Amino acid sequence: MMTNIQQLPALAELSDTLIAETGRAAGEPDWLVERRVAAWRHFVQSEPPFWRRTDLTKFKPEGIVAPLGAQHTAVQWDEQLAAKGVVFTTLAAALRDHEELVRQYLGTAVDPLTHKFSALHAALWQDGVFLYVPKDTALEVPLHAVVTLAGAGFATVPHNLIVLDRGASLTFVEEFVSEDVDGQALALPATELFLGDGASLRYVTIQTWGHGVYQIGAQRAIVGRDASLEWAAVNLGATLQHTEAETSLVGDGSHVNWVAATFGGADQALLTAPWLRHIGARTEGHMDFKTVVKDNAYATFDGMIKIEHESRGTVSRLEEHALHLTPKARSDSIPGLRIDTNDVLRAGHASTSGEVDEEQLFYMRSRGIPRDEAIHMIVMGFFEPVLDRIPSEELRERLGALIEAKI
Amino acid sequence: MKSELVIKDLHVGIEDKEILKGVNLTVRPGTIHAIMGPNGSGKSTLAYTIAGHPGYTVTRGEIWYKGQNILELEPDERAKLGLFLAFQYPVAIPGVTVANFLRAAINAQRAEEGKDPKETAIPMAQFRKELREKMAQLGIDEAFARRYLNEGFSGGEKKRVEILQMAMLRPSMAVMDETDSGLDIDALKVVAQGVNSLAEQNPEMGVLVITHYQRLLNYIKPHFVSVVMDGRVVREGGPELALELEEKGYDFIREEVVRS
Repeated sequence: MMTNIQQLPALAELSDTLIAETGRAAGEPDWLVERRVAAWRHFVQSEPPFWRRTDLTKFKPEGIVAPLGAQHTAVQWDEQLAAKGVVFTTLAAALRDHEELVRQYLGTAVDPLTHKFSALHAALWQDGVFLYVPKDTALEVPLHAVVTLAGAGFATVPHNLIVLDRGASLTFVEEFVSEDVDGQALALPATELFLGDGASLRYVTIQTWGHGVYQIGAQRAIVGRDASLEWAAVNLGATLQHTEAETSLVGDGSHVNWVAATFGGADQALLTAPWLRHIGARTEGHMDFKTVVKDNAYATFDGMIKIEHESRGTVSRLEEHALHLTPKARSDSIPGLRIDTNDVLRAGHASTSGEVDEEQLFYMRSRGIPRDEAIHMIVMGFFEPVLDRIPSEELRERLGALIEAKI
Repeated sequence: MKSELVIKDLHVGIEDKEILKGVNLTVRPGTIHAIMGPNGSGKSTLAYTIAGHPGYTVTRGEIWYKGQNILELEPDERAKLGLFLAFQYPVAIPGVTVANFLRAAINAQRAEEGKDPKETAIPMAQFRKELREKMAQLGIDEAFARRYLNEGFSGGEKKRVEILQMAMLRPSMAVMDETDSGLDIDALKVVAQGVNSLAEQNPEMGVLVITHYQRLLNYIKPHFVSVVMDGRVVREGGPELALELEEKGYDFIREEVVRS
């Protein structure tokens, strides 16, 4: 069902009445309609967040059209999965067929009231997928969800909700993709990931919005006992990105391996704020974040490792490295480490930032590789630990080509 | 094309400090020429200058190879001309595998202006076959092809991979900068054997072996030996000069130089 977008109201024309009416007309349950209205009121009443490193002064949301009823989610579906009890559908459809399951998880990882934009997300989300993998079920084939947007003047508000029951395993790839837009567009994505005890998830999230898109996003994973999360993020697109991400290692013995590649060029401003929270005992987290900037781009890594009081025997390691290809490009790194337990096994942090290494360049050139090609190879090599985790050859090549084109 | 490497009155400095003070040297094709000298004599500066390291400033002199003053060429253009430098301290390139690096280097050297690089590129099957053969000859485990270049390699592994690169790129003039440093005797033998068999396979190849110690020259037999001290070539001779140095040390030459 595609709503006629010509009839949609602008954000400035929205009201709690209109939101409630739209929800009811779509057959949404009362609890959800109530949540949307509450979130909308929070959005209207709260002050814009003060973000030192995300500058929204150039963004003019007034004329942006609200995405009520919009459908920008494509789901690749496999009949055989249904036989295993796997649910993979749009979140809107899941509300009809699996209401209790959705209600149990929706909005419990990403807090709708974190700030003004998370409230707007909770009030307006329409697109996105629901994915449920039953107990002890292993899916070999990666599942893929693609979110797009309608173009300049539109908002897309997708919500992906991924639930792995005990012992389940899955590879999930989400892509946010669009052409360049002539003007401004708004993306407010949120993704919630739940890993039951002993579950194993490889999560790949790729942001390749076109120029003109302003993204304010949230992602959070709740990891159960002895569960294991492999998280790879690739951020190449958008005019502005502000993504708050968190992994909560709640269960004892849970584990995350978290890598990210961010590449900013032209006038892009890309911020990632990853938090790693160790809550359970004997939890282990590794973060390896890579950033490349050129032209007038500005990238920010605003990360934090927090080890809670009960998290005994923790292992935590954060690496973040930035490469500057041209002198005007900027990157900021604000890593934090807060330890509230006195029983940490290992916790460490390494950070570098600088231009392409002249000794590497000379070494490669001494083998006959021209300077430009050597820089290409160094950048691709820099991102390799992230690209290496992309499960499909086709996707890896597509991202490789996008990165090559940016260099 | 056969060519000598001719170095004429070469003066080189780093940040205002003059290191080479007028080096004259000729390396003929098909010969192995050893440069010996104590630490700080300028041996490595000579190697880097031949390869075109941007940190060294040539204040006077010329280096001729294949009809060109190579000081006017970029490092990659020099490599394309057939020059190769085996580094004393090979550099790690994270995320770039040995195989991919070598293929890029070979294809860069095969590239011709105005031609589609795909046309001139080495066929994949041929590349794989050659790489496997050369790795086996040098006693390098096949798994190294997929490892990131020099990342986490031991000193001996790095030097072997330098020789592997040399074997794959088939230079017409190879400069080996202290290839023996940091190697135990077994690793040294493997590396020397690699160089010798390359020299046999490419009888026109010239080799400039730079070393502090005579030890390496037991395994790579030079035709000529030049001794460098304080930025100048102070003695030239045949292989017997290396043995004399081993016996008497560098001091006897230093005294000779002072007397004259």
